[in-house]
Parts: sequence; C-alpha cells; structure tokens
Amino acid sequence: MNDSKDLETRLKIAKSKLRNKEIKDTGEKGVFLGNAFKLGTELVAAVVVGVIIGFILDNWFGTKPILIIIFFIFGSAAGILNVFKAAKRMQEK
Amino acid sequence: MATNPMHQFNVHKIGPEIKIGGIDLSFTNASLFMLFSAILILLFLLFGTKEKKIVPGKIQLISEMLYGFVAKMISDTAGKKAKPYFPFIFSLFIFILFCNMIGMLPYSFTVTSHIIVTLAFAVFIFVGVTILGFAIHGFKYLKIFVPSGVPIVLLPIIMIIEIISYLSRPISLSVRLFANMMAGHTMLKVFGGFVISLGLVAGWLPLTFSIALTGLEILVAFLQAYVFAILTCIYLNDALNLHH
Repeated sequence: MNDSKDLETRLKIAKSKLRNKEIKDTGEKGVFLGNAFKLGTELVAAVVVGVIIGFILDNWFGTKPILIIIFFIFGSAAGILNVFKAAKRMQEK
Repeated sequence: MATNPMHQFNVHKIGPEIKIGGIDLSFTNASLFMLFSAILILLFLLFGTKEKKIVPGKIQLISEMLYGFVAKMISDTAGKKAKPYFPFIFSLFIFILFCNMIGMLPYSFTVTSHIIVTLAFAVFIFVGVTILGFAIHGFKYLKIFVPSGVPIVLLPIIMIIEIISYLSRPISLSVRLFANMMAGHTMLKVFGGFVISLGLVAGWLPLTFSIALTGLEILVAFLQAYVFAILTCIYLNDALNLHH
C-alpha cells in the first residue's frame, strides 16, 4: 500500500519533469520558427504604413506623387529598422 | 461550390437580422464559432480547476501546464512588472489558440482567418499599450521615438522612421495571424480538391500531402497564437520598462 503510493508520487514527479521539459523544448523551437514567420511581415507592414501615411498627406496637401514617394522610402527604412530590432531581440535570448 | 477553396471563409447570417443605428449586428457563423470557443475554454478551465488534487488528472494537468506556460512567457519577456496583465495575455493566448484549433476541425469556421478579427485584437492591444505607456511615464513615453546617441541633424528623419515603425505594429501583428491562417486553410482545401478530382488513380499523392499539411497547420495554429501573445508581451515590456 505504502509502496504503491510512493511509486505513484515518484512516477508523477518524473512525468511532470518530462512534460516540463517537453514544454520547454517546444517553446524554444516555437521561438525560432515564430521569429522566422515574423521578419517578413515586419518588413512589409512598415512599408504599407509609410505608403498609407504618404497617401493621406498627399491628399491633404494636394502634392500628389511627392509625399507618397518620400514616405515609401521612410517606410522601407522603418521596415529595415523593424527587422533589425527583431533580430537583435532574437540574439538577446 | 464545394471545390471552391475560398468558400470556407464565407460569413453568413444565422437567425434574424439585427440592425442598431445602421450597423449590422446580426449573429453570424463567425460569432457562433467565437462563442463556441469561449464556451469551450470556460468549460475546459472550469473542469480543470474544479478538483484541486495534489496528483492532477489529465484536464487539470493540461490547464496547469497552460498557466505555467503563459506565466513563464510573461516573466521571460516582460519581467515582473507585467504580472498584473497576466489575465489579459492568458485570455488572449487561449482564445486565439482555441479559435485556431477549432478551425482545424472539418466543417468548422476559422475565426482568425478574417483580418477584421485579428486587426480588432491588434488595434486594441496597440491602443491599450500606448495608453498604458502614457499613463505610466507621461510625456516621457515619447522618448521611445528618440533613440539615444543620435546626432541632432539626423533626429527628425530617425523620429519619422521610428514613428512609422511604431505604427506598423498592429498591422504586422494582425496580418501575420490572418495570413498564416488563411493561407494554410486555403492550401488544405486546394489539396483536398485535388484528391477528389484525381480520384482513385492518382488521388493518393495529394491525400498524403493533405495529411502532412494538417500536421503542419496544427503546429502553425499553436505557433501563431504563441507569437501573437509573445509580441503582446514585448510591446507591453516596451511600455512598462522604458529604456531606449
């Protein structure tokens, strides 16, 4: 009776250790894969935001093609900055 | 109709049309599946925490694991100060996870494959984090747009770039989840369509692909919920601990 209880608790501890390890493993793998998915959208999103801002400002001031071009360039720079930041975060871990 | 891979994303009304102030608030299949996953989460966690045994049962173990997983994620990425926001991140993570996973069932509807749903989440987080940043740091929060050690000549350009980078957060956050879910489900449907049209002769090849893709999609479903939650933590960290 006592033995079987002892075994049960030991089994439980071992199992929970194993599961914790599994969570850790999948979690760490998830970070890498997640980062890989992340970088592409980071780059594109900033360009999109830049172009949208340029488009709105152009409509506002009536300077049709100029601001959209300028903000496209700013957006591209911001996209590269985003990727740079994300890559730096990756290295910190 | 059945072979159209985009047909699965159609939103249609269930029950009567409800219009309040010109806004269509009818109950749709999307709302049905959101409600469904919310109820499932509620039941799952209620059962998981009903009997607090020392030796946990299966459901209790899974819910405790989920708790530990999210708690560790928050403390790793956002530090101790983010502890009060645990309920928000946990609900966000588990809701997206359940929506994604329910979407993997045949004949179901994937709520997160619609940009309006993910954008609503992302904009809510973005606005919330910005308000939080201003509430904690006041106007000092604007410092995140001014990186230290930049020459004064370059400062205006850098500031514009930083602001665009900050504004791109909700878009990258929402587009990532939406695009991954929609692309995956479309791909599954396309391969499923190949199985039917190639028939018994050559249909086995796309069928194997389809099975492999289902596995991949389950991984992506988990991963995207995880990425969404961890990025929320990172943005929260930026707002809580101002160091640039």
